[in-house]
Amino acid sequence: MRDSDRKLYLASLTDRLVKGQMGRRDFLRLAGKLGLGAGALGMGMHRGPFNFVPSAAAQEALQPSADILKWVADAGKPFAGTTLKLATESTPPSNALNSQLKKYFEEASGIKVEIEVLPLEQVLQKLTLDVASSLGTYDLYYIDQSWAASFSQDVFDPREQLQKTDLAMPNYNIDDFLPALVDGIAMYDGRMVGVPYDIPIFIMIYRKDIYDELGLKAPATMAELASNSKAIMDAKGPAMAGIAGQMKSGHYSLECEWTSMLWGHGGSIFNPDKKFVGNDEAGLEAMAYWTELKKSMPAGVDGWTWDGQGQAVAQGVAASMLSWGEFFPYFDDPSQTKISGLCEVAVPPAATSLRTKDQTAFGETPGVGHQGGSTLAVSKYSKSPDAAWVFMQWATCADTQSLITALGGGTGPTRTSVYDDPRVKANARVGAGTTRHLPVVRETIAKHMGSEPDLPEWAQISSDTIPVSLGKYFAGGYGSAKEAMDDIATQVDTILKG
Amino acid sequence: MNQSAFARTTRTIAGWAVVGLFFFPIYFWTSVAFRNAKDIFNWPPIFFDFQPTVRNFEQVFGISLGFDFGNQEAVTPGGGNFYMAPRLWDSIVVASLSTVLAIAVATLASYALSRMAFRGRHQFVSWVLSTRMMPPVAVAIPMFFIFKQFNLLDTYTGVILVHALMNLPLAVLLLKSFFDDIPAEIDESALLDGASRWTIFRRIVLPMAKGGIAATAVLCFIFSWTEFLFVLTLTQTGLKTVPVVSSTFVTSIGTAWGNMAALGAAAIVPAFIVILLVQRHLVRGLTMGSLKQ
Amino acid sequence: MSVAQVKRIAISDSPWPWLLPLIALLIVFTVYPFFYNVWLSVHEFMPRTRSLKFVGVDNWVQLWNDARFWGSLGVTFAYFAVALVIELALGMAIALLLDAELPGFGALRAVLSMTLVIPPAIAGMMFLLLQDPQFGVVTYLLNWLGLLDKSTPILATSSTALAGVLLAEIWQWTPFMVLIFLAGLRSLPAEPFEAAMIDGASSFQMFRRLTLPMMSRVIAVAVLLRGIDLFRVFDYVFTMTSGGPGTTTYTLSYYAWQQTFSFLKWGYGATLSLTSLIIVMVLAEVFIRLAKVRW
Repeated sequence: MRDSDRKLYLASLTDRLVKGQMGRRDFLRLAGKLGLGAGALGMGMHRGPFNFVPSAAAQEALQPSADILKWVADAGKPFAGTTLKLATESTPPSNALNSQLKKYFEEASGIKVEIEVLPLEQVLQKLTLDVASSLGTYDLYYIDQSWAASFSQDVFDPREQLQKTDLAMPNYNIDDFLPALVDGIAMYDGRMVGVPYDIPIFIMIYRKDIYDELGLKAPATMAELASNSKAIMDAKGPAMAGIAGQMKSGHYSLECEWTSMLWGHGGSIFNPDKKFVGNDEAGLEAMAYWTELKKSMPAGVDGWTWDGQGQAVAQGVAASMLSWGEFFPYFDDPSQTKISGLCEVAVPPAATSLRTKDQTAFGETPGVGHQGGSTLAVSKYSKSPDAAWVFMQWATCADTQSLITALGGGTGPTRTSVYDDPRVKANARVGAGTTRHLPVVRETIAKHMGSEPDLPEWAQISSDTIPVSLGKYFAGGYGSAKEAMDDIATQVDTILKG
Repeated sequence: MNQSAFARTTRTIAGWAVVGLFFFPIYFWTSVAFRNAKDIFNWPPIFFDFQPTVRNFEQVFGISLGFDFGNQEAVTPGGGNFYMAPRLWDSIVVASLSTVLAIAVATLASYALSRMAFRGRHQFVSWVLSTRMMPPVAVAIPMFFIFKQFNLLDTYTGVILVHALMNLPLAVLLLKSFFDDIPAEIDESALLDGASRWTIFRRIVLPMAKGGIAATAVLCFIFSWTEFLFVLTLTQTGLKTVPVVSSTFVTSIGTAWGNMAALGAAAIVPAFIVILLVQRHLVRGLTMGSLKQ
Repeated sequence: MSVAQVKRIAISDSPWPWLLPLIALLIVFTVYPFFYNVWLSVHEFMPRTRSLKFVGVDNWVQLWNDARFWGSLGVTFAYFAVALVIELALGMAIALLLDAELPGFGALRAVLSMTLVIPPAIAGMMFLLLQDPQFGVVTYLLNWLGLLDKSTPILATSSTALAGVLLAEIWQWTPFMVLIFLAGLRSLPAEPFEAAMIDGASSFQMFRRLTLPMMSRVIAVAVLLRGIDLFRVFDYVFTMTSGGPGTTTYTLSYYAWQQTFSFLKWGYGATLSLTSLIIVMVLAEVFIRLAKVRW
């Protein structure tokens, strides 16, 4: 964020310089205070105003395209003066939209957009109240993939909305969204619960320097992941652990890590009879593996969500993590971490065996690359669904998503074309907001992605039943992993029956 | 009490040490506000030896402290996500006005409860107190529906009302005990002179209970200043108070500890000023009339 | 309203006009929610139909059979009792210590009150950072003192998690007790103490026989005010442990919040809230009677 703020400010300064609204000396002074050395600036100045920014072409174009804004102005005109509300998790795309991009939309359309940025569980609270009361206090919903089933009846299917030709954005191209994501995040029961908006996904992030030093290679299998982590722990521990985890009891993050382990050992959460089977042979094998792997993790891992996990890698306490790729740009930010440029990414290690979708239930798709995507959708209770739809198309179109990715810093785009966008590729260098991990993200989505089941009870099972019991297991509250898993099975059965 | 010099010194040191212990987390939190992320996470922890930065404050308040004030956009083009200055203002408005409302309603009621005997008075006070016993989550939901009905959702009026309400039991209880401290004979002689209850209340009792009212007001202010769940449930984008927006710093890619600490540290200041203004009354006033047997 | 009417009300000795604003507000904002919750507790929210269905006493039966509820009740009581006792004892000790005019003590009393203006939600985050197993200052100090094994994360170990949450609670609210007790100590009459001194009583005896009895009502009110809030504790658990590890720090209030918002079990959430309300009311009533508080 900081780097992108700075870039945007530089761009605006440059703009003023070019338009003659600012003297060159003032420009240099202000730009210098942004941390750009006089040398770098001076050299740039000879070759034109934009050259001091590493990716000149990209910076020049870090504004919405004129065509898109013209459409926004036309389509939005009838709704000028409307206020739209959206509650969203504090994620890179939402933050980029809120602080840097929505003003373009507001200026062009005259529609005001108020974005409420909250932690995940508070977003759920807001949605719950809104849906249960059918009051339409929000016009757009940010829907985490684990809630898709719960809210599927409360939002419009974007494919139906696209039928209204007078409001449809030309070249919106709904088929551009990665098919795996449409399937894994948005589809429930034949309905499309909004369009894919963001895709955090588990990838392998590891310290290249440490791996090189110990002669290790990026893990290709789960077994290698364990042996690499152990090798680092043996050589460097406890000051530096082999791998960081997200294992806070009672928190959704613990469930995320568990699924990755489970799917990676040929297990699944449900069988086709809709029975919980985390306690079968593969499930217990996964638990044994995970319990062993935990020995190569830092002591604090039981108290960490992805937050602490990311911090552990960023501060050099752990040498790798199999976790959300969206952390990577932060690791590369030299003003924030001690490991800028030291990390590399790889696709997740291959599973020992993998169940297919037919061997599970509720649309569960096994894969080591656990995805935590979300969708954006227009609420059925909205008082201005058409204005909301105009905004939603703009917010999720290829042009906006490219800007989000370039400005917001390394979030996972959900559209094929965005991965190839020159503005996005221009940021593929070491530094804050890098996009150099995106090819791996793309490959992981295509080949290794795992998706949780969709059922209305899933929110409870995934954020409470499973992580509370797993937390209890790791705190020594069960005699064995089998006992813990059997207990989860009983609880899940009860929930599904009730 | 005569104390030897040794005892005095020991006691002085002990006092400083104990308060120092309580102050330490505040010092550390404030120091986090002046750190870059990489200075926050260290083993062993760093207490003093870090490169201070005002960046966190700049982002939270949208002003540039490091460079010129003419270019405020510099820090947060378009108002960054961490720009919280208006939220601090929201907190001040909500806490002040809800305190005024609570005190206004509570002084009236407490005066009557203190001076006028009626059947069931003890039960009435107990009932008032019991309204504070409901878990906040159980009040928040019905409140959400009422507020939606009356268009109070996401408004200052709504939040001020609910905070005043939350503080009423406490305010009534405390103020009643302060009024109890003022001899009832004063009222009675004034009544004989033909003064009305209202005049007595306005001209005699209120001025005499000034200190107690100030102490009560501070507590109301603090409870409103720190309240979380009501504001979370009853606001959206119109306003938000500091405790609720501080959770904005918990993002999907980690917690912005520095920014959170900057807001947290800055938020201590206004409330602490209020405390200092009435400190004299606070320490005297909190006896709650309890010594009158 | 005519002038004459206003005048009549102003001079009348009826308490009701004075109490009217209070009663009106309390009815709208607390009596209504109470009955709303009673109504909710015999209904349940049906996620598929987005409507409330009458379920009779099902929620109450479920409550009786819910091990999680009993567990959370136990945690709430433990939290309540430990916090109250420590805050009272520590608060009294510090109040006695600071009740003197020694160098800087005025400033110390002011500084101590600073903990109160920090929102519990932020205090929770503060202590989360301080107790971080990898980087936390408290962790470091406890390691250094040899009181804690380096491999023990305070907030993620069953035996220490509740203590970790209590640390934030006690840090924040002990100064509240100190303020109240200081106020009480300040207004004690001097004569009995002088008399006792002449009789050669020790300071402990004076505390036992004079200070404590004379402060009894201050203490009672402090117990009541803090006790009510302790029973509803939410913010610290919410920010610090999410009830974990396992269910070791699940309080009733947090459980009710979770049932309501995370699981959409509105009816069951209301049932839990009412249960909590009933318990606090009974406790408070018993206490008021035992301590002979008359309003």
